[in-house]
Amino acid sequence: MISTRFVLKRLLLLVPVLVGVASLVFSILHLSPGDPALTIAGERASEEFVRQIEESLGLNDPIWVQYGRFLVDAAQFQFGESFIIQRNTAVREVLANKLPVTLELAIYGQLIGISLGIPLGILSAVKQDSITDHLTRIGALAGISVPIFWSGPLLILLFAQVLGWLPTSGRISVLYNVEAIRVTGLVTVDTLIAGNWEMFVSAVRHMILPASVIGVYSMALISRMMRSSMLEVIRQDYMRTARAKGQGAKITVLKHGFRNAMIPVITVIGIQFGGLLGGAVLTETVFAIGGIGTLLVEAIKVGDYPIVQGTVLTFAFLFTLVNLGVDITYSVLDPRIEQ
Amino acid sequence: MSQDGNDVSRRRFLTAAGAAAATAGLAGCSGGGGEDTTTESGETTGEGETDQTETETEDGGSTSVLRYGRGSHSPTLDFQNSTSGEVAKVTEQLYDTLINFEPGQSTLTQGLATEYSLEGQSASITLREGVMFHNGEEFTAEDFVATYRRFVDSDYEYYAGDDYVSAYGPFTLGSWIDEIQVDGDYSMTIQLTQSYAPFLRNLAMFAASVHSLAAIEEYGTDLSSNPVGTGPFQLSNLDDANERIRLEANSEYWGEGPNVDEVVFVTIGQNSTRAQSLASGELDIIDGLGAQSSVQVENASNANLVRTEGINIGYMAFNMASREEFRDRRVRQAVSHAINTEAIVNEIYSGFATQASQPLPPNVLGHNDDIDPYPYDPEEAQRLLEEAGYGDGFSFELATFQNPRGYNPSPIQTAETVASNLGEIGIEVDINQQSFGPFLEYTAQGRHDACFLGWYTDNADPDNFMYVLLHPQVEEGELTEGQDWVSFDAEGYNTSNRSAWANRDYMDLVEQGQSTYDEAERESLYNEANQIAHDEAPWVYLDYADELRGVSNRVSGFQIAAISGPYLNLVSLN
Repeated sequence: MISTRFVLKRLLLLVPVLVGVASLVFSILHLSPGDPALTIAGERASEEFVRQIEESLGLNDPIWVQYGRFLVDAAQFQFGESFIIQRNTAVREVLANKLPVTLELAIYGQLIGISLGIPLGILSAVKQDSITDHLTRIGALAGISVPIFWSGPLLILLFAQVLGWLPTSGRISVLYNVEAIRVTGLVTVDTLIAGNWEMFVSAVRHMILPASVIGVYSMALISRMMRSSMLEVIRQDYMRTARAKGQGAKITVLKHGFRNAMIPVITVIGIQFGGLLGGAVLTETVFAIGGIGTLLVEAIKVGDYPIVQGTVLTFAFLFTLVNLGVDITYSVLDPRIEQ
Repeated sequence: MSQDGNDVSRRRFLTAAGAAAATAGLAGCSGGGGEDTTTESGETTGEGETDQTETETEDGGSTSVLRYGRGSHSPTLDFQNSTSGEVAKVTEQLYDTLINFEPGQSTLTQGLATEYSLEGQSASITLREGVMFHNGEEFTAEDFVATYRRFVDSDYEYYAGDDYVSAYGPFTLGSWIDEIQVDGDYSMTIQLTQSYAPFLRNLAMFAASVHSLAAIEEYGTDLSSNPVGTGPFQLSNLDDANERIRLEANSEYWGEGPNVDEVVFVTIGQNSTRAQSLASGELDIIDGLGAQSSVQVENASNANLVRTEGINIGYMAFNMASREEFRDRRVRQAVSHAINTEAIVNEIYSGFATQASQPLPPNVLGHNDDIDPYPYDPEEAQRLLEEAGYGDGFSFELATFQNPRGYNPSPIQTAETVASNLGEIGIEVDINQQSFGPFLEYTAQGRHDACFLGWYTDNADPDNFMYVLLHPQVEEGELTEGQDWVSFDAEGYNTSNRSAWANRDYMDLVEQGQSTYDEAERESLYNEANQIAHDEAPWVYLDYADELRGVSNRVSGFQIAAISGPYLNLVSLN
């Protein structure tokens, strides 16, 4: 069904995209003010000390030499060592630590979004202009409009402070040493693998608030897209034909309508999930879950070039990969697209 | 409907979907600077219950775990690898210095050295016997020598590398130490390059802690994640993914404590979330509090806000090298009178700071108690301006960093207040805001007219403020007779002196202070130097910021310290 040629073609397209992103990041970083050597050295350093750092990091070399070196290294997924955030640690290692954090949050958030958004969207479309429809639409609009930096602290206040049901922040209780059982880096999975039920419960409890915040937002977008897409499909000739042939309403919608209505929804899900892999910065910040997003923001703030370059490129790579997945899904849903 | 029509409508959907998602993505990404100001929420009730305080271990035993919350994770666990205060908080638990600060004081006391003295250009040090490193090796003078060489000696086999060692290498030790003579395992003499009164205090800084020679040989630069010290705690687990550092008690510790089994450093970037975690019982001690989160802690029923006067200063420096107006003392005094520092400290910094009067904060030798801050007096300011011939005013650019720093928690708001205050006496201020890195570079090159900046002490010595921040440190030949400023381009110029100020009387006093060992004599030298700095006003003295910590009621023995610490070995849990 899916031709290898199609996938290969899309994979090859990754190369120019990534080279473009790499060049863009490199030039933005090098055009922006701020000398990384000075940042590393800090306020206590003499000028001589700063020069030493510049030299040892090759920051004195002509820009094209630095650029060439960067491209060659980046092609091997080597981004050097972090300047500041995790001093002298390979960027690869830093990313390996942080990616699962972001991935876990994105997966659960998106799962909540999909499992609520799709049924609500269908319901809303089928019962167009009914009370259910209006309520769902208002709910979705509210979900999109409420900023996370407002809803996050409010949820913490309610569930952690007033009710005391859930923890305020982090990914697992500080009493547990989750690093010791690390396999995948996803705490909900690692605790299960380790067979430690208490730790697993703690991890889940920590995940509920941040995943819900992301989930509600996703849900809102997905349900709106599902609704309008479904509305369009419902009015198609083949739907009427199916009904005319005596097929039940439910079956018509779910069997004939759903698959066709999914294409734009998949797009939204794909782009959203891709975006989440870049880190839900606000959610991460509010709930003190240090993922890729927070890492990138911090790195930009302090001028940690290698981290910025590594993170942005990884993100671009993952984003295009997710979109490749979306394209493949299209062709499964509608074989005409492969052409 | 035709196939074509179908196609078009799908494409339309895709476009719409893409646009919607892209917009949403942008919305999700923007504004995520992690600034504390955006999400400070209201008061905490402190009534929440939590199941987070259980301390049962898997084997059923009970362990006491002290949870310390802070704003950033340690970039490294090696004190030679970074100048960051976040690094110090953890390494102070893992390592020891030869000399310690008395907890909560700025006086010195024994550490790994039991006797120490400074005479002329040599420091004699007797080391404590029977102290064991976490790796089981015994501490001797050789460990100190290896640690020192790893930090500053590029010829040493185990030198950590130019891109590894922090600026504290030369700043604290390298610039002052000529050579170290070891006399047996427990005695050594350090020859200095010059008479240097702050030296013993430098030995008390976290950057002067002691590595184990065996560990240096074994780990090299991997010591950044494999610390081996003699401190009250040893590393149990470094979790960079979750930004947590778990330490366990060192039962062999030579000093007092520790009284808890484990310490966990937890990173929560957002001040308000950190304060909420304390209020809900998930943390025991938190630092890095802003005004608003301090109020959250004050309102929590299960925790207290602990504060002490900090050893720091926030100031606005006039760049005398770039602006002729600022070369006139009367103009600088006029500006000092025109800026309402009292209002800045009370309104903008919410009273969590003290109005400053001189470069040296209280609690440091030589702080002159007789000096009062410049009173807010626009009329006097106007008079001085007219006397100086600038009655019609002038305009200048005030460079400031954007993000809060301890000594200036609201830089933009402060800059706006300065601009509005000075507007009243006809001086127009143009605010140039930058992020901290570029800002440092911009001002170190002397491109500013005036700038905000500040300083946290390294060693609580007056020299660390007076010489480091206001002495030009150039050769005599670079100075011009009868002129009390110098160009930023002068050979060897100390760019930490953002004012380009070069007052001979002040310089003499501060130089004498650097080489005078008698405390009373030193005190009077710095008293006088502070008086000059106050009168000459190369800076507008803004504030000395308080140190603030949130401490849970279950904690006892916590000693807040303006320098060094936290002293977690003294803490117990009820």
